[in-house]
Amino acid sequence: MFSIAEDVFTFLVGGKAGEGVKKAGSVAARIFTGLGRDIFQLDEYESLIRGGHNFSVVSTAPREISSHYLHADLAVALDRRSYEKHAGHIRPGGLIVANSDAMGEGSWDGIRIPLTSKAKGIPNPELRMGVGAVAILAAALGLAKNEFLELVRAEYPRDIENNTLYGASIYDVAQPLLGSRFRLERGNSARPIVGGSEAVALGAYAAGLDIFFAYPMTPSSTLLHFLASKSGQLGVTVMHPESEVAVINMAVGATYAGARAMLGTSGGGFGLMAEGISFAGMAESPLLCFYAQRSGPSTGAATLHEQSDLRFVVSAGHGEFPRIVASPSDVREAYTLAAEMMALVWEFQTPGILLTEKHLAESTMSVSLDYDAAANAAPVMHTGDGYLRYRDTPDGISPLVFPPSRAMNKWTSHEHEESGVYSEKEETLVKMHDKRRRKGDALVNRLKTMKTVNVSGTGPVIVTYGSTTMMVREALIAGKLNAKIVQPVYLEPFPVWEMEKYNREKAVVVEQSSTGVFAIYLKEKAGISASSVILKYDGHPFDPDELAGKLRGVL
Amino acid sequence: MADDLTTTAPNTWCPGCGNFGIYNALRKAVHGLGEKNIPKDTLAHVTGIGCHGKIFDYIGLSGFAALHGRALATAQGIQLSNPGLKVIVNVGDGDTMGEGLEHVIFSAKRNADMAVILHDNGVYALTTGQVTPLSEKGFRGPSTPGGNPEEPLNPLVMMLEAGATFVARGYSGKTDHLAELIVRAVMHEGFAFIDCLQPCVSFNNTYERYNRITELMDRPPAGFDEALSIARRKDKLALGVFYDVKKPPHHRELQGERNPARDSQSRQERLGRIRKLHGV
Repeated sequence: MFSIAEDVFTFLVGGKAGEGVKKAGSVAARIFTGLGRDIFQLDEYESLIRGGHNFSVVSTAPREISSHYLHADLAVALDRRSYEKHAGHIRPGGLIVANSDAMGEGSWDGIRIPLTSKAKGIPNPELRMGVGAVAILAAALGLAKNEFLELVRAEYPRDIENNTLYGASIYDVAQPLLGSRFRLERGNSARPIVGGSEAVALGAYAAGLDIFFAYPMTPSSTLLHFLASKSGQLGVTVMHPESEVAVINMAVGATYAGARAMLGTSGGGFGLMAEGISFAGMAESPLLCFYAQRSGPSTGAATLHEQSDLRFVVSAGHGEFPRIVASPSDVREAYTLAAEMMALVWEFQTPGILLTEKHLAESTMSVSLDYDAAANAAPVMHTGDGYLRYRDTPDGISPLVFPPSRAMNKWTSHEHEESGVYSEKEETLVKMHDKRRRKGDALVNRLKTMKTVNVSGTGPVIVTYGSTTMMVREALIAGKLNAKIVQPVYLEPFPVWEMEKYNREKAVVVEQSSTGVFAIYLKEKAGISASSVILKYDGHPFDPDELAGKLRGVL
Repeated sequence: MADDLTTTAPNTWCPGCGNFGIYNALRKAVHGLGEKNIPKDTLAHVTGIGCHGKIFDYIGLSGFAALHGRALATAQGIQLSNPGLKVIVNVGDGDTMGEGLEHVIFSAKRNADMAVILHDNGVYALTTGQVTPLSEKGFRGPSTPGGNPEEPLNPLVMMLEAGATFVARGYSGKTDHLAELIVRAVMHEGFAFIDCLQPCVSFNNTYERYNRITELMDRPPAGFDEALSIARRKDKLALGVFYDVKKPPHHRELQGERNPARDSQSRQERLGRIRKLHGV
């Protein structure tokens, strides 16, 4: 028995890397949004450039949808491997269509369309496969042929003639086999399709981002590529240097000059940055970090999804200094959280890490961002005479000056006097350790005035965080279940004052780690004892149907 | 001399340390730059960790005492963010040719606009005298009591090969000459590297040797190839400018005339651009 929301339609296309699978998914998404429906698109791929197995799944509903579903209504398999992987995940009433030319020996059940042979005579036949998949979808939805060809012209402008020729030929084959098989209800959404990484980049930009540093590392590179392509349009300098160590040390330098800086990385890269985080803490550098997790430890599985680095992120970097760690649930929250964190790091002159996962970093969904709700970085600036870079103040925050300045402005990685000059004196060590600790207290007090935990729904409590929240939301809809989702956005400082109230409830914890990292953290920080912990650590995000089944068992 | 470059930090260099020579040369250079309309307020002084690093506290310049080996990365971050600042980086041979080798090679490769003074004393003096990547084979230190088993790198050759557009060698025992080199290095638009020979009275006292074998070049080398061949010599250590060419600096190639800190868009402008991007 599947738990799939009735109003959801899911299209899946699978094939080898280099066959235009992801693009086909994106074009399908545009067909759905053209009908006024919302979408969620998940792209899965392997760590290679050609071959292997890629798939793109687009789920759509005439309302806001916050997850993909793996059980497709219409699946298109461009090769045998895709067929093997997805034939067993077709929703009742759904169809699988396969490229009959690529199926090899052995029987199989599904609709046969000769995608490869129809591309004979056209240059770069492998690249056309994606167009073929879109043609099949168009026919199945009852899109008129000319409407479909107009879409191909718009979405595949390189070599329009061959693309439309090929698309038309596949449409003609598909029409009699599955034409108008699915009628989709129109919606009235005009929400743009935005990716998680794009939302983080734009949120940071709204709050003042001037310069971005990153070393390519899946799945954080999506944000690097986005900002690099928009560098001129937005007016943000993008620098890709020799290593992650260069990245963080450059970013800290940038903040000295008064530029709002952000860096991007994933697990292993952040490992290399541990000294830099401690540097930012001591020097009091307002550094914002984007950390998109992948399957670990070590090199792990580069393109796969996991949520197991929480402990690492809240503690990386030797010594004691305040830091901010927060994790958004969805694309909309990614935008406002990125802006909010940029403002916070500049208010407290300390490092902040926006923690997310492959699933949010590389998925896209229909969303209307609350553009104006983005916070704005506004640091405390020094006025008048007598400037001391690390002036001891009640809240531990020292006003800033930016170079060039008449005033002596020394930043440092050493323990220091208020002037920034090195010190080993006992009383100075106590003074500066206390200053940093008081800054941490001020940060906690600040968080207490903000919304740090999202709570929605009624019923038994589910505690979750990050992108897993989206899957929980959709699982409740799909499984027709009632529950109260408690999602701490801020993880460090941990909003104990909000979360403590759940330590006498039976809380179900849902997370994507193998040792229950988050469940242990909840117990340590807020005394919450999970009545059950639902884990998934096979490298893929939860499917709402699968999760609904597990939740039903414990709620 | 007491002036606005003097600080109150107590000096902890050993008496006779080569760093005093570099310090005096730097002071002289800062005054010289002031006379060329480069006021000290526009200087960003970045240092690494080691005995050399103490210069950060001893001179009244704004800047950043960065991590061991990483001064060049922090310096680039500063320079890219406000190319109007003139960045002077004091680093050590242990710190920059060891821990931070990737950063010095890449800054040269990029032609990052800054002046780098390598305090080349051949030891990690602050940590009691271990061997560095520039120490001769056979050097005995606490980590190589049986003698260093490795041959040294040649910093001038590496910088020339990496693409540095201004390469020079100075000597802490010739402070006026060094001061001139520093002024030229700061005025040079692009990556300027000065290998400054520096005796360490406590762990590697090379005064006698350097006084004997250093020699001011009477003319600059004819081109890149001659610069390399003179730089390779170990019997005579030539002092002066080996190579000085004009190439576009990194910040201009990366971001044109944009100054990220100075040209930061207003909030209104930013929200407008985001909306335009999304077509809303």
